[in-house]
This record gives sequence, structure tokens and C-alpha cells, in this order.
Amino acid sequence: MRSSRGESGTWDASLTGDVDAFVDIFDLHHNRVYRHALRLTANVHDAEDVTAAAFLELWRRRRSVRVVDGSVLPWLIVTATNLSRNLVRGLHRYRALIATLPRAEVADSAADIAVERIEEERIGEEVRQALGALSSADAALLALTMFEHYSPAQAAAALGISDGAARTRLHRARSRMATALGRSLVGDCETTTKEEPR
Amino acid sequence: MTMLEMDPVFTAALREVLVATVDDTPRVRRRWRWRLGAGMFVGSTLIAGGAALATGLFSPPGAPIDTPIGNVVTVTHTGPATIDLGPPPARATDLSLTLTCLTVGTFDFPNGSSMSCDAADLSHPPPDDQEASEVVQLTPGKDSVTIDTSANASWTLQAMYVNQVTTPWGTNARGQTYGVQNQKGTPDLIAVVVDQGKTQGYVKAAELNCAAGGNVETPAQALAWDKASENRNISIPVYESDGTTVIGTFIIGHATGPNARTVPFSSLSLDCSATGNGPAVNGP
Repeated sequence: MRSSRGESGTWDASLTGDVDAFVDIFDLHHNRVYRHALRLTANVHDAEDVTAAAFLELWRRRRSVRVVDGSVLPWLIVTATNLSRNLVRGLHRYRALIATLPRAEVADSAADIAVERIEEERIGEEVRQALGALSSADAALLALTMFEHYSPAQAAAALGISDGAARTRLHRARSRMATALGRSLVGDCETTTKEEPR
Repeated sequence: MTMLEMDPVFTAALREVLVATVDDTPRVRRRWRWRLGAGMFVGSTLIAGGAALATGLFSPPGAPIDTPIGNVVTVTHTGPATIDLGPPPARATDLSLTLTCLTVGTFDFPNGSSMSCDAADLSHPPPDDQEASEVVQLTPGKDSVTIDTSANASWTLQAMYVNQVTTPWGTNARGQTYGVQNQKGTPDLIAVVVDQGKTQGYVKAAELNCAAGGNVETPAQALAWDKASENRNISIPVYESDGTTVIGTFIIGHATGPNARTVPFSSLSLDCSATGNGPAVNGP
């Protein structure tokens, strides 16, 4: 890990085609992207697919990636959010490639059960469905602030919109979610993500 | 509390795939801008007008002619910079830019094109692998040009105001226009080169658009099109400027691998109602 130049130096090096630098970025962030994908897909195989596609997109679209406070993680979270919502369309570009990657032999139902056991990552089926009803951008904004603890300003930067626009949209998105869930949402994730066991 | 991690077998395999992907990426030199979207064409190239045609080998109608006005400004910088050029002369319409990389890096032109140089490029005799040119339209009131790159990448820029005149498209005996796409839009027959540059001719704009999926209208159709395109490339005929004499084929698509096949456009029953006339597909 090239810690001497920090992530933004490593990202710059990636842009020139430095393979080691790009792999450093992968090593740095893949688990957090995976955990986020797991929240939204609730299935280990799907989360692995989303993570793979997110990093392949990071390379394909590297010149237009928005770096927020020196990091590409917010961009990865936004991308993973979009991919999780559109599993068929988002992944088709990479489907053949991802299909060649070896997996632990886990049946689909067992992959769901594995997620159920991961308390801290569960967000509950209703929250997941309510997120699915929002626009991509609103879902990404909520994901960045509610689950990943970025500030509204950082979330705005990740999406390329103004602070003001982000705050307005966050407020509206939270109201919509609250209506869909039939209760009020306090503005941080600790309260909303601990669901009662079903 | 141990944090959950992705399966190590999958992670290791994905890592290898990413290494291979980065290694495999060709370094694109932006000499020819692809108006209809990058990545669409396999083994064939649309011709864009502008500085790339300075060879004079094939200058189709509709291509711009750039006459230099005033002096060349030459600067060398490290990192991103904005160069003040002074107000454009009265007859200036565009800015001709030639960028040369002095170190490895990726360098962005103001119009969104970019050039990348790696160590191999720099080791070749100049200027071919280290130079790229663009002609960008002037923005009223803006007297400067910005080149974006990383903090330690060095470059030289030659900038010159030009007066650009767009030559008119040709018209053949059947009343079809032919030439390159430009600000006025798209002619009926679009100039292309195939066979590694050995054959120059024209494709029908309507066929190109249709074969590239341009007539898809609903998300469901888009999905179906994408699915069909996974293993299918489509070939359309290349004509002389008469729009009738076939001299080659132009292949559209990015399907590769053992299941990929190329099918002639005429063998598919596609609904193509576009006429081919209209504004340039990517805007001004």
C-alpha cells in the first residue's frame, strides 16, 4: 500500500495505467463496498457480483470518477447502490466475466441465511424495499449519509450536485421512506437499521 | 467485533481479473473523435473532420478547413494550468491545440477529449506517440484554455486561433448528401475508412443508426437489444459516394469471444424509420 502518498496519489497513479496502484485502491475499499452491497441485495452472490461490477466500472469510467476529499469510496458506494437496484441491466456488461470467478459453494438460500446472521449489516426487508422505490440519486444520497456516515456535503460532492440540492433531496427522501415505513426516521442509521428479528 | 469480509477465494480471483483488465487497456490516442459514441465500432472507423485529416489523403466534403490567424502560443507546464491567449482576432472561429506529453500522464483537452502517455510512448521517437491535436470551438468571452492533468505531469501546448470554414456536403446523382458529420448535422452517407485505412467510402446514416440500436424506443426494447448484442455484431455495406456501388463492409458492435458472430444488416428484419438527417448525434 502506497501510504506515503495517500489515496488520492494512488488514484492519480491508477489513471496513468499503474496496475499496482489500481489494485491498491481495490484492496483498500472492496470490503466496505461489499458490505454495502450486502445491505442492499441481502444475498452473498449478488453482493459479490455488485462488488466486482463496481470495481470494473471504476476502471472503465475512471476519467469521470468524482473524487470526494481525496477518496473514490463515495463514488464506489453510489455505483454499488445503482448496481444493486438494477441487477440485470447494470451487470450485463460484465456478466460473462463475473461468471468465470470462482465462489465458495453456497446455495442461494444458504447465501440469504448467511446474510441474516450478519446483524450489523441487516437493514430489514422493508427499508430495502422503501429504498428501491426512490430514484437512484435519492437512494445513493441516503446510502451515503444513513449507512456510510458521510456528511450531506460529501454526499453532494459524490453525486456532483450542490449542498443545498442534496439537503433538500435528503429531507424529501427521508419523508418518503418514513411514509413507506409508517413511522418516523431519526436522522442517523443506528436507530433505523436495527430491525426487530422476523 | 470482526468486520465482515468478502469471500477470500472470490476476492483473489477478482483481483486477478482487475490486473488483467488494467493491463489489457490500450492507450487511446484521441486523434479521431468518434461522434456516435466510443466502443461501438470493431475494426472500422468513422472519419471526423478537423486536424486529423492533415494528411490530405482523404478529405471528404463537410470537413472543416482551418486557416491559422495570428501567432502560435507555446507553453510548457507541470500540472493543470489555464493559459491566457488574449482576445481572439475578429475572424477567429476556433482554437487549434496541439498537446505534447513530456512525462507519463493523462491530459484533458477543454472539449472532453484526452490523451494518455505511458513510459513506452515516451521511449518512441517523437512526436507520434506523444502528441495529440484538437480543434475546439471558441466560447464567447473566454480568452483562455485549460489543460487538466495530475499535479506532477508535464506537457507542452501549442495554441493558435483559426478561422474555420465548413465545406459543404456533396450531393450524388440520387440526391443523397455525402461527407462527414459536422455542426450542420449528418449527411445521408457518412464517410468511413475500413480495411485498416485502405478503403474509403460511405455508409448510409439510416443503416448505421439502425444497426447501432438507434431505433430502440422503450427500456424493454433496449434490454432486448443489449441481450441480442452480447454475441452479435452487425455489418452494413460501404458504398462509393453514389450510394449504390458496394466496395466494402463496416462492422458495428463490440461482441468478442467464441460465441460472437457477425451478421449482415440485410438478414435482420429491423424497423428503421430514421432518415439520417438532423442534428449531430452528440450535440454541437
